[in-house]
Amino acid sequence: MVRVGSSPGSPGPTSPVVWALPALVTAAAAVAAVVIVSAPARTPVAWVGAVAFVAVALSCAEAARRGRAIAALRATVAGQEASLSRQEAETVRLAQDLLPDVVERLRKGEFPDEVLASLEDPDAYEPGLTPAFRAAHQAVLRSVLDAVVAEEDLRDSAQRAFVNIARRVQAIVHQQAQELREMEDRHGHSPEVFGDLLRLDHGTALIGRLADSIAVLGGARPGRQWSKAVPLYSVMRGAMSRIIDYQRVELHSVSQVAVVGPAVEPLIHALAELLDNATRYSPPRTKVHLTAVDVNSGIAVEIEDGGVSMSEEARKRAERMLRQAQQGIDLNDLGETPRLGLAVVGRLAQAYDFQVSLRSSAYGGVRAVLVIPQALITTAEAATGVAHGIGTASGPRAALPAAARPAAAQAAIPPARTEPARPEPARTQPARTEAARPEPARPRHARPEHARSEHSRPEPARPATGPRLPADDEEIPVVTERTANGLPQRRRKAHTPAPALPGVHDRATAPAPDAARATTEPEPQVQPGMWLAAFQGGLSGDSQTATSRTGGASQNTDASPDSASKGGQP
Amino acid sequence: MSNPGRGWEDGTPERLYVITGGRSGPLQSTSLDLVTLIIARSGPRPGMQPEHAAIMRLCQSPLSVAEVSAYLGLPVSVVTVLLGDLLAENQVLSRPPVAPAQLPDLALIEAVIDGLRKL
Repeated sequence: MVRVGSSPGSPGPTSPVVWALPALVTAAAAVAAVVIVSAPARTPVAWVGAVAFVAVALSCAEAARRGRAIAALRATVAGQEASLSRQEAETVRLAQDLLPDVVERLRKGEFPDEVLASLEDPDAYEPGLTPAFRAAHQAVLRSVLDAVVAEEDLRDSAQRAFVNIARRVQAIVHQQAQELREMEDRHGHSPEVFGDLLRLDHGTALIGRLADSIAVLGGARPGRQWSKAVPLYSVMRGAMSRIIDYQRVELHSVSQVAVVGPAVEPLIHALAELLDNATRYSPPRTKVHLTAVDVNSGIAVEIEDGGVSMSEEARKRAERMLRQAQQGIDLNDLGETPRLGLAVVGRLAQAYDFQVSLRSSAYGGVRAVLVIPQALITTAEAATGVAHGIGTASGPRAALPAAARPAAAQAAIPPARTEPARPEPARTQPARTEAARPEPARPRHARPEHARSEHSRPEPARPATGPRLPADDEEIPVVTERTANGLPQRRRKAHTPAPALPGVHDRATAPAPDAARATTEPEPQVQPGMWLAAFQGGLSGDSQTATSRTGGASQNTDASPDSASKGGQP
Repeated sequence: MSNPGRGWEDGTPERLYVITGGRSGPLQSTSLDLVTLIIARSGPRPGMQPEHAAIMRLCQSPLSVAEVSAYLGLPVSVVTVLLGDLLAENQVLSRPPVAPAQLPDLALIEAVIDGLRKL
């Protein structure tokens, strides 16, 4: 019975043999006592010895049994402690690694099922964990996953709703702006109506900017798409037209470059937000200066206001705001309007690689610098031809010698953006200008005649700023000669004087005007409106001038007879 | 721009009020008419607003306001504002059109036309 329950693997030195020893010793002592004592005492001694032996054996057996039980319990406890620590480690891993990892992966756009499947992989767990524990962990993960997914979905749908609404507003605003532009053309002759229209137009542009901001914060593009590059000058004026206090913005010299189509709208919007900030936080009578200069990494647009200086703390906050926005915007963090603007700028900057920084200005205000990367800049002649027919090339350019002016049509649109006044060889490619030039120039060609025929009458309602015939965009054969019976003869416009213009415009190249003049020599005399002067001269009896002028004109082979004849026969 | 078929995106991002600086008419009332002739006193100068420069270039020889407006593709009011600026700076001269009284009789012109047709 001593051996009952004893297991060979029981820990410790307490083998059953040890527990048998006291009983054996007792037995031996009893036997010895029986032998030693006198005969009459032998029987009682034997009884006592036997009882003692039994008692000792029983207690020893009990002790041995308990000892084994204790050992077994110890083993169990140790095992449980081990598994407990494994579970603890696993739980810590869940909290510290798994959950953040899962959330991160979800944010990155992995599907929740995939994420869960990868976690159910048995290798993902340490061995020795009970299935129930694993299941519990999976359940926790799944519910967290569900919660995160639900939240992300909610946010997504909220953003989509934002963007959706913004898009609708944009569509309406766009439509309205278009109609307003048409109305401005239609009612351009009456200043009162026109002034009202301009105010409406301005208000519409402001609404449009708000809608754009909402779209950007919703993670979408700002809005309109521009298929062609747009001259930087136009972009900057576009930004000006979207703020309230555009009259306070002073536009200074601008590099003769253009912004590639996809970046136009974001740039306009970002600049508009910065300009809005500048005008909003400077005294109403101060000016905000807007310039663009070449820098190594691209073009730096500077917006400098003479307003309240930004404390260092405020500046840091603003920059932090920009940075945060670049990392992604939490819509919940957006509070008041001013922060909205910076958030939008940051978002756009992140998406299009603009570098935006805010510094204290020497004037005491704030100087915001936005650097447009070189990749988004293109040559000016790649730009869309039109900036209200003119613009784009900002003021700084040499006066054009009158003699070099070609016929009316070309003169109308010195497609100014033409020559990059920039030193880089990549940009100054006269050859390219030549090719690119007639394109913008041509469309206007048709208009003058149209307008002229209309306006040589006394009662014209308004100038035909109007219909620019699409058909005229391409090659227009120009009436160059007349047949014997006076019918106009058209000759393909093989050489336009326009290509020579770049040289003329280029203030950098001094001798260029001469060359230009040389090429345009044949038709220098006829200026826009000359025919009118000649006509009037003729009417008022100044026949001498009239004949000499018309004579001069008819000798011109190119565009001048065109103008004369067209004007003469409405 | 004024042609909807071309699509607005091919136009220009700048609105007219930026070009005029928010004004819808010239500051002081000028007697600019659609047929007033404008002539520039000099060529365009560096630093001018592009529209001003364009007008200066256009008006190297006399041109009516309506024509300037048509060439530039801008409404007459805008052109009037711009011309008002230039007039105030004495950059251009304006000349009212030849008065009707000085023109030959309409009947005479018609007679000439008839005569030409008979040729």
